[in-house]
Amino acid sequence: MTALLSMEGITGGYGDADILEDVSLHVDPDEIVVIVGPNGAGKSTAMKSVFGLLTIRAGRMLFDGDDITVWAPNRIVQRGICYVPQVDNIFREMSIHENLEMGGFLKKGDLSAAYDRVYTLFPDLKERRKTLAGSLSGGQRQMVAMGRALMLDPKLLLLDEPTAGLSPKYMEQIFQICRDVRDTGVAILLVEQHAKQALAFADRGYVLAAGKNRHEGSGADLLADREVAEMFLGG
Amino acid sequence: MEFLELINFYVIPGIVLGSIYALGAVGITLIFAILRYAHLAHGDLATLGAFIALAVVTGLGVSPLLALPIAIIATAAVAVGIDKVFYEHLRERPKIVTVMASLGIALMIRAVVQVVWGVDTETYSRGIVRPENYFGLRIRDREILTFIAMIVLVGGLQLFLTRSKWGKAMRAMSDNPNLALLSGIDNKKVVMLTWIIAGGLCAASGVFLGLNTELKSMMGWQMLLPMFAAAILGGVGRIEGAVLGGLIVGIAEELSVLVIPSEYKAAMAFAILLFMLLVRPTGLLKGKVL
Repeated sequence: MTALLSMEGITGGYGDADILEDVSLHVDPDEIVVIVGPNGAGKSTAMKSVFGLLTIRAGRMLFDGDDITVWAPNRIVQRGICYVPQVDNIFREMSIHENLEMGGFLKKGDLSAAYDRVYTLFPDLKERRKTLAGSLSGGQRQMVAMGRALMLDPKLLLLDEPTAGLSPKYMEQIFQICRDVRDTGVAILLVEQHAKQALAFADRGYVLAAGKNRHEGSGADLLADREVAEMFLGG
Repeated sequence: MEFLELINFYVIPGIVLGSIYALGAVGITLIFAILRYAHLAHGDLATLGAFIALAVVTGLGVSPLLALPIAIIATAAVAVGIDKVFYEHLRERPKIVTVMASLGIALMIRAVVQVVWGVDTETYSRGIVRPENYFGLRIRDREILTFIAMIVLVGGLQLFLTRSKWGKAMRAMSDNPNLALLSGIDNKKVVMLTWIIAGGLCAASGVFLGLNTELKSMMGWQMLLPMFAAAILGGVGRIEGAVLGGLIVGIAEELSVLVIPSEYKAAMAFAILLFMLLVRPTGLLKGKVL
């Protein structure tokens, strides 16, 4: 099977400083892939590099047959990758429904199928569709953020630490939603700080440290790897 | 003093002045919310709008009210043009650069007005208009017209912002610019819309000031401070706040004549501005902090 997204030897960063050094990874269709690693390892940066948000000095990014290395974010969105930032990922002063509408901004014509899809995944949101997004709890905000990103029917969803600051109950719920989303045919690449839980739930994982690839494998394999356990997972 | 006298001589003129300030303040607040800088050429843009209407009134012999739509369209076009020629190139620079540039634009617009129309005082129509008497309330037609026009224009804008796709895109851009870009919202179109709306409202503000008083090349510049006071009083980024702020500043300015000499009327807006910035910088309706 050819990979949906493949990142080949990416080196780059913000401005002149390189944060990523020769990072390679790939995501297959219908797969949840997680990037874990210590703080400052370049996890979020690796994700942002997909979205054209940093200066790439070497390597290339292939998505679904296109070389998207130098594409502008709005073109990448239209091509089928949606990105949920870690913070400030909702429109606080707009209702849940309006957040979704903005998510589907680029879609021409009727949005009702897209609303249905998102509201089926997040029934809680449908009940509260008129509520201002800024007044919701952290877990619900994350759902709005993911819902907004799903409005354009992406092939790949990028999630930057979706469970940061959430209670274990919500963390489990977000992971379950990720599985549901994957089952609708959307691949997911996410960055996680809760490495143990994330590796246990993801199909595959990458361990990044100091801006470089260190380990890769299935979630279970990485969890069982002694070196990975010692380095990042607190024994 | 009698109650009716207070209403007739202070509150009604205050509401009229306040409506004029509100039309400008809404544009200021919109520019603050989306472009995040103080636009100091706002008053002089209103002057330009007022004089364009004068040209239409004298040239075509129509009433100022018929000239209003033409002035709105022309001033909106000028505002978009100024943005394209000047402000657009400063977008990536620190905001203070654009603020200073807008001061330069203010002087340029005023110079154009003075060259084309001169520095003398003009009016849309000669003669004195006597107020009608409504159960003791003495109101002129143009005063009612000013207030209603303000409500209709701002109400229309509010509908646009809450109901239409591009209006919502403007709110999204004001709320979270990064996420708006990630959603694929075209920043340039939103900026252009902002200038069309702000420029159009500026013209309306200038035309109604000219209709209720007289036209002078300094008329808009003298409105700038009260318009900013109104925007900040209401809460930056809040449309309904700018209207409320405009009315309060207008009424406060008129009432201030009761306690301080009328030459110091303009100081009232300054006092409100300072007080709000010190005590409650988010404004009455919780806007953004600058």
